[in-house]
Amino acid sequence: MAPTACFNCKEARAVIIRPKNRHKLCRACFIKIFETEVHETIIGTNLFFPGERVAIGASGGKDSTVLAAVLKTLNERYDYGLDLCLLSIDEGIRGYRDDSLETVKRNAVQYDMPLDILGYSELYGWTMDQVVEQVGKKGNCTYCGVFRRQALDRGAARLGIRHVVTGHNADDVAETVMMNLLRGDLPRLSRGTSIVTGSDASDIKRSKPLKYAYEKEIVLYAHHRQLDYFTTECIYSPEAFRGSARTLIKDLEKIRPSSILDIVKSGEDMAALVPVEAQTIKHCERCNYISSQRICKACTLLDGLNRNRPKTAIEVGVGMEDEESSSTLMRQMERAQLSAT
Amino acid sequence: MPAKELNKPCMECKDAEFELTVRKRQLCSLCFKRFIAHKVQSRLSVYRAFGLDGPKTQLLLPVSLGVSSSVLLHILNTDRQHRLDNGRPVGYDFKILVIEPSTVAATGIPFDQNYEALQKNFPMHTISRIPFHSIFDYAPEMVGIMKEYAGSKFIDDSTRSNEERLAAFRASISTPTSRTDVDTVLLTRLIVEFAKKSGCESIIWGDSDSRLAAKALAGVAKGRGSSLTWQVSDGMSPWGVRFEYPLRDLYKAELLQYESVCAELSDVVIPDQPPSENVLTKNLSIDELMLRYVQNQGAKYPGVMANVARTANKLNPSASDGAPTCALCASLLGNVKGNSGVTVANQAEDNHSSQFCYGCMRSRPDELC
Ligand SMILES: [Zn+2]
Ligand SMILES: [Zn+2]
Ligand SMILES: [Zn+2]
Ligand SMILES: [Zn+2]
Repeated sequence: MAPTACFNCKEARAVIIRPKNRHKLCRACFIKIFETEVHETIIGTNLFFPGERVAIGASGGKDSTVLAAVLKTLNERYDYGLDLCLLSIDEGIRGYRDDSLETVKRNAVQYDMPLDILGYSELYGWTMDQVVEQVGKKGNCTYCGVFRRQALDRGAARLGIRHVVTGHNADDVAETVMMNLLRGDLPRLSRGTSIVTGSDASDIKRSKPLKYAYEKEIVLYAHHRQLDYFTTECIYSPEAFRGSARTLIKDLEKIRPSSILDIVKSGEDMAALVPVEAQTIKHCERCNYISSQRICKACTLLDGLNRNRPKTAIEVGVGMEDEESSSTLMRQMERAQLSAT
Repeated sequence: MPAKELNKPCMECKDAEFELTVRKRQLCSLCFKRFIAHKVQSRLSVYRAFGLDGPKTQLLLPVSLGVSSSVLLHILNTDRQHRLDNGRPVGYDFKILVIEPSTVAATGIPFDQNYEALQKNFPMHTISRIPFHSIFDYAPEMVGIMKEYAGSKFIDDSTRSNEERLAAFRASISTPTSRTDVDTVLLTRLIVEFAKKSGCESIIWGDSDSRLAAKALAGVAKGRGSSLTWQVSDGMSPWGVRFEYPLRDLYKAELLQYESVCAELSDVVIPDQPPSENVLTKNLSIDELMLRYVQNQGAKYPGVMANVARTANKLNPSASDGAPTCALCASLLGNVKGNSGVTVANQAEDNHSSQFCYGCMRSRPDELC
């Protein structure tokens, strides 16, 4: 086949077919367009202010690594005036976290950003290895995800930083929209798609600058910029029902590549249609963290662990999940397994 | 004391053998029908607000001759008959509309016998039958809108018949997803125009809970989330005609059970086409994919699928009065008020100053899908 010219510059040879719209692009144009779209998201949503201190929740995985790389690039290119740093959580899973933390440490050097690492043991008195010992391997992602979400906020608060950005991508947001619709969860339907969440008692703003970026494009971006990231993320399988929602989104993407963004668009519109009564934000009575229940999920899970009743603790149903659960990690894991066989 | 010796008596009347199990209750066919009918009637109770001599609301019941809408017709008809026999207020009158299935589906299903059975079994109602392409008679402005929508590649030949012109337009849309999407938009439009012309205030749709769940999920996946408030919820449509979905508390399987014990329906209903087996996922339409998803997952997590339509029904209709709407489907252009997302601005350059909504733009012929 004759080489195709780049759809954008019409000069260089196209080497990438964009998953989002199937445009054929050269490497340089793809990278530029990807970055420009993130920039447009940031500007269009007034995400940052000059001089803002921002912690990037860094796991060493591709999403957060791409986020760090893009934010550094854009901060310099467009003079955002941001004070960026990396914030990592050590779940305490021997064997795999060590390597990903090494990756984050290298990223800190590569991007010239300060790095802080905070352990589950410090925050909760339990490492994930100890949790697994207690509850077994099933249902683990729940603990991991719930603990991680709060851990980033607490870590940021400890550093005196009020804005945490995470690597949640469009696939994650689309999946969350579908899950919230399937679970009939109106409060989360009203929050799950917004680019900024939080502003809870701890005053920590959480945002996802990659919320319109396709997972596949994040992988391409990381590849073509030869970013240093750690491939295997979470080693536990997701809950079955979320798995079905994820498969559904993959199927939709096959049928119509724009579906992922279309779901995000629908989710944003529906969020604005959720009745006010259903939007009320409550706080955990114990730790004051944002929560739809009287006691937040982290506290509930900790209760179960501390009461040393493993069986009741793992009976977490469809409704007991982290609301922004990033299953990209698991998706990546599945691919890693596939390619290994 | 039951007079008869019964093997397994109906749990409700205890006076007949049980025939069907519904929601873990074993009922005779009479009690079963009553149970199903009750679920429907409670949804339509608003139309009984007036007494015997009060004004009657005119409703339009589109019947596709499929299971769900036929069962709905049977329930409404039985209820009406019952009320008339007992001198109780009916509250509403309904007209029946059949869009000729042979003009909608490409397979050209013969339906004349079914239609005759419909007329024979439900003689006390006004039944109208119109072809899909009569959309050009009921909504003449569609000629221009379709031309605009289909873009430069589509050439409309005004010397051809309406049937041929509609076929040409539909053929210009390339993917199964977009074709199904646009067909639904056009059918809805045709039915609405018919309702308006025949003085009906509301349209009573025969979508089961399962169907509504699939519709909601497909709508979301096609970027039509803002329209669920009338496409899935009971509410006012953008055309000023109310949409009601009184089968929303019933699963498709229960409607099939109802049909199986209804002699009057056996000649009316055109059975569902079994889902084709060897279809690659990427060749399905999004609507089909969602129907399959609801079927498969509904079997594993029955409560979950019921959540979907229920959740959609709780959304507030958009308070965007006077905001510009889509020329084709009447959905809102741009974002719902209060949505500060940048999907529209950022992702669909061609959406600016368009007269078509986000969802319709996605199904446009020149879109890369
Ligand atoms: Zn180029
Ligand atoms: Zn708590
Ligand atoms: Zn009975
Ligand atoms: Zn439209």
